[in-house]
Amino acid sequence: MNARHMARLTLIAPTLVGLCTLGVWEAACRLLSIPSYLFPAPSDIAASLHANWPMLLHALGSTLQVTLVSLLVSVALGTAIAVVLVQHKLLQVSFMPYVIILQVTPIAAVAPLIIVLVKTTGVALVLCSTLIAIFPVISNTLIGLGAVDPGLEAYFRMHKATRMQTLLRLRIPSALPMFMAGVRIASGLALVGAVVAEFVAGTGGNSAGLAYEILQSGFQMDIPRMFAALFLITVTGLVLHGGMTTIERLLLGRWMRPAT
Amino acid sequence: MMDPIVGLWGVEKVFGNGVRALAPVNLAVQPGEFISLIGPSGCGKSTLLKVIASIHAPSAGQVRWWGRDFAHVGSAGHRMAFVFQDPTLMPWACMEDNVRLPLDLERMPATTAGPLVRDALEQVGLGHVLRHYPAQLSGGMKMRASIARALVTQPDLLLMDEPFGALDEFSRNRLDEEMARLCYEKGLTTLFVTHSLYEAVFLSSRVIVMAANPGRIFGEYHIDPAIRRDETFRLSDDFAHMCRDLTQMLTEATHATFSGGA
Ligand SMILES: Nc1ncnc2c1ncn2[C@@H]1O[C@H](COP(=O)(O)OP(=O)(O)O)[C@@H](O)[C@H]1O
Ligand SMILES: [Mg+2]
Repeated sequence: MNARHMARLTLIAPTLVGLCTLGVWEAACRLLSIPSYLFPAPSDIAASLHANWPMLLHALGSTLQVTLVSLLVSVALGTAIAVVLVQHKLLQVSFMPYVIILQVTPIAAVAPLIIVLVKTTGVALVLCSTLIAIFPVISNTLIGLGAVDPGLEAYFRMHKATRMQTLLRLRIPSALPMFMAGVRIASGLALVGAVVAEFVAGTGGNSAGLAYEILQSGFQMDIPRMFAALFLITVTGLVLHGGMTTIERLLLGRWMRPAT
Repeated sequence: MMDPIVGLWGVEKVFGNGVRALAPVNLAVQPGEFISLIGPSGCGKSTLLKVIASIHAPSAGQVRWWGRDFAHVGSAGHRMAFVFQDPTLMPWACMEDNVRLPLDLERMPATTAGPLVRDALEQVGLGHVLRHYPAQLSGGMKMRASIARALVTQPDLLLMDEPFGALDEFSRNRLDEEMARLCYEKGLTTLFVTHSLYEAVFLSSRVIVMAANPGRIFGEYHIDPAIRRDETFRLSDDFAHMCRDLTQMLTEATHATFSGGA
């Protein structure tokens, strides 16, 4: 089997699996006459998506905004922290345990505290989301900056490269694959963080996100709408992942196949 | 006599873990010599080369380059190039960018560097893969690129650490012939580490046999630099004789015990 054939297959096969599942799902709901308030058929979800589109779109916008802002903050702040920590072994040893504490504490447990402490809801949401998205950026960048080929390092030293030349031409490119993998993981976590924070905050009105839509649908027993919101969250996650993978491939494609 | 290209006086190297990689070593590399370092593994061949490249600082003794200290290395007429055992290329850069690295590091303008880089790649038979990335090339091609990166600086001293050790014998023989042509035609002074005695005889004007525990120079074997290094030489009786002599010396070096001094 050649590569092109395989690539096409990895696109077609999952699509077929998805379509079959949807078909069976739809058929089962109809044949067994399962009411849509118990378990909606795909067509019910699509109808709900259509009917509630303006509201859902607005909610999607809110969630996406929190996700993207916290992803940006995580990447900027996480990289800065890693660059500082990598300067000295003592710094790394002193602060790494706290970075790990940040990581191992479940965000759902911290979120209520942050929502109470931070008065501006938007900031609180971004903070929650950043709190979990920043870890992979820090740890991957640290590993990346440390993963310099010792042979190349010796080569640079022998050719009397300056600190700046070594940083720009050796350290940063060496760190790039690990860094990009960290950003890709962070993009997923930022979405998780945003949704969890929205659940905890329970903010409605203008800044209502997809989590709020899910909560509301639950209260109103509007299960199709719940599924519609869930569907949008999943699509958002997939688009983020796809986007990150594409950026990774563009940056590193020719010298390293990004992990999938 | 003029200054040697590189001179080592009583150079020792003891690593942090206590390994005595080099007992006092004295060596003078004269212009135009092709010297091979050969010896059992762990006898300090790589360490010696890295001390000369100033990648390791000696624990004792003195190294001089063109009669001066390392600060002058790299200026015109005093250039040194190192080819590692592995290609040690930057995986994120294409062949052209990889080979241009030493010129970039000394801030040569791209317009000046471009033709030199293409010449060097042409010379090692990689003129057709300028835009290829290391991951797209075979081990032998990557090694050639590594050699091109050394040649592009037009070095006055070329250091090579088992450059063809990972290659099959056929590719190695061919690269040896090309290396010999390059070095002898240009009179390029070369220090070449190998574990192959045949390779050492084929390439060298002087073979230095080292012994281990601690690493030291055990003996030397001279070969007429005027001999043409080609297939005829490889198949000649002379070649066979030299290999036999050197085998004997190498066997002695392997069983030699240290009795102080060098
Ligand atoms: N960076 C290092 N730190 C500690 N010991 C080393 C280091 N490099 C080499 N050695 C030791 O020094 C000795 C000589 O090594 P090396 O010069 O690599 O030998 P060769 O190249 O002849 O096989 C070996 O015993 C090796 O384990
Ligand atoms: Mg070695």
